[in-house]
Amino acid sequence: MTPSIELRGVQKRFGDFVAVGGVSLLVQPGVLFGLLGPNGAGKTTTIRMMMDIIAPDAGEVFFFGRERRPEDLKRVGYLPEERGLYRKMTVVDQLVFLGELRGLKRRQSLPKIERWLERVELGAWGKRKVEELSKGMQQKVQLIGTVLHEPDILILDEPFSGLDPINQGLFKDLFFEYKQRGKTILFSTHVMEQAEKICDHIGLISQGRVILSGELKEIKRRLGGNSYRLVADSADGGGGDGLAGAMARLEGLPAVDQVVRRGEDGAVKLLLRPDAVGSEVLRQIVPFLAVKEFRSEEPDLEEIFIKAVRDAA
Amino acid sequence: MQLSHAVVVGKREYLTRVKSKGFWLATALLPLFMGAMVLGPALAASKSRAEQRLAIVDSTGAGLGRELAEALTRNAKEYERGQSGVRFEPQLIAPGPDPAAQRQELDRKVRAKEFNAWVWLTTAGLKENRFEYHSESLSNVITQERLKSRIKDVVSNWRLRQAGLDSAKIAELIRPFDLETVRVSATGSRAEEGMSGFMLAFGLCFVLYMVIIIYGSQVMQGVLEEKTSRVIEVITSAMRPSALMTGKLVGICLVALTQLAIWVAALVVLSSPAIIGAFVAMPAGMTLPSLSPAVVVHLFLLFLLGFFLYSTLYAMIGASFNSIQEAQQFAAVAVVFIVPPLMFIMPIINDPDSTLAVSMSFFPFFTPLVMMLRIASKMPPAWQIAAAYSICLVTIGLMIWLCARVYRVGILMYGKKPTLQEIWRWVRYA
Repeated sequence: MTPSIELRGVQKRFGDFVAVGGVSLLVQPGVLFGLLGPNGAGKTTTIRMMMDIIAPDAGEVFFFGRERRPEDLKRVGYLPEERGLYRKMTVVDQLVFLGELRGLKRRQSLPKIERWLERVELGAWGKRKVEELSKGMQQKVQLIGTVLHEPDILILDEPFSGLDPINQGLFKDLFFEYKQRGKTILFSTHVMEQAEKICDHIGLISQGRVILSGELKEIKRRLGGNSYRLVADSADGGGGDGLAGAMARLEGLPAVDQVVRRGEDGAVKLLLRPDAVGSEVLRQIVPFLAVKEFRSEEPDLEEIFIKAVRDAA
Repeated sequence: MQLSHAVVVGKREYLTRVKSKGFWLATALLPLFMGAMVLGPALAASKSRAEQRLAIVDSTGAGLGRELAEALTRNAKEYERGQSGVRFEPQLIAPGPDPAAQRQELDRKVRAKEFNAWVWLTTAGLKENRFEYHSESLSNVITQERLKSRIKDVVSNWRLRQAGLDSAKIAELIRPFDLETVRVSATGSRAEEGMSGFMLAFGLCFVLYMVIIIYGSQVMQGVLEEKTSRVIEVITSAMRPSALMTGKLVGICLVALTQLAIWVAALVVLSSPAIIGAFVAMPAGMTLPSLSPAVVVHLFLLFLLGFFLYSTLYAMIGASFNSIQEAQQFAAVAVVFIVPPLMFIMPIINDPDSTLAVSMSFFPFFTPLVMMLRIASKMPPAWQIAAAYSICLVTIGLMIWLCARVYRVGILMYGKKPTLQEIWRWVRYA
């Protein structure tokens, strides 16, 4: 399959500061790809280089399996992190203009604009100036502007930041709709839970480098290690020293790497050594804890990310 | 750079502006404002009224004081009829035995506001052609001029009488004279009022100045609007900054040309003999200085030169800063370049071929306004026009290059206000 987007060793420095130090990424068609990383990791710079807003110092950008050509960008919908519209233009004129930027003629875009405005419940606002719209409405207009020309690739920089819950839902629905139609979506975020819920592929970027990338499920399986969720009746700890004693005893088990307290209902997370077997460990716990629940648990992205950053350093 | 992108941007710039109420309001109101600016001072000067209670001391013994008082009283009648802006109330005072003491007494009366000023006609002064004039304020130059000319009339009359001529003969010999002004140009000679020729040159220069400044700063505001609203982020993902800049400059330039064309058309229609004749009775054979096609062509050419010189400067300023407030300080730089010709309007119109006028027209940032003044007053030699326009074009080329380099970096820089060194570094980026 020809990848929709590919970056090969893309670099960018600003003066002495290395913003992006050689990023390589592969995004397949029909994939919802999350470009993850903390603020300042180089996500926006990477995206801007994809969009040809700034030129990389080294490396290449490929769209649709060949080196990027200017006309390729007409097949891309781009939502920048910093959003904005012409305040004095009417909603329709604004959208026609955004369509024209991507090669759409006025008469082609007008019916599409009408349909979109109806869909996001802005049907009555077409002739109003942007400055008369609420912030949430402006976000909707901006989103329409991003997808009006029916792009094959959507590139969105922090699309969820500053969105109200209604628009978050709207954006997510649109993402899944696009994915179902076989289109490619790449978006950046620094909020891991968000990415975890909707992405199927991720790229983790830290200090200008990709430290991890691939299918989310596969990454979790590979890096999640061997972890279990344990809930026990701590009063029945056996040693008479309550929870603290039970925790100490758990940590003392040779197969247990780490014990992490979970906030709620006295549950703990046990990170086992890679070769340890869950049922063996359970047998060792039962003598001193009244186990109510013991099950294999998926690691969350946050943990994977922290571990990956630590390993990379 | 893709032309189609520049066209999309230019179309937006043009349509949003021409469709706005502000454009039509400015198109209608600016000529009124201009008219007020040009005609106002002249009108005010002609209508300005001054009154002076003047004490006249005459120690010449030749009756000059009485004659002056009479002349000044005649002047008062002209004043009533609106022909003179100064009204004198002369008061003859006999010279006393002690001139020094009398001088002090007269000064005291000026301070006590018994009269506003005094003039002393002396025999010595008659020989040296100077009389003493005392007043609390000496900035009343129009009043002084008027008084001087009356004194000159009275003294000349007296001298001619001394030479043996009688009063009637003198009156017949000394009659005011006027110049019948005829403009000579390539298209033929025609009678024209000198003052209106001056007004035309002044007016055209001023229109050019206003349009360049107004549309130049619109470019700056437009660039800043895209930057502060962050629309720029989406646009730069679709096109090169050079296409955006080109579209913006050309679009706004077309708006200005539209406005200029409306004005020129209105002027041509309104100043046609048929319409003027309906309002003003023109002296036979006299016409208003009309806009010759050559002058109109140069007006548009000079506008284009001026617009691209200054709008690139304004675009550069807009791209470098983050808000109108920050940019405004630097926008003053543009004004520093455009204003000097306005300070030399008088000498340039009066002698359009002077070394001053010619050398100023070769400095590219002065060329548009100075050449407008010269062309409207008297068509300069073709080689000078060609040279000045060429220098201007080369400078515009340089400005566009410089602007494009600052622009492409500046439009995506937010936050800190850049220093001049930083802006220079943007220029040198590959």
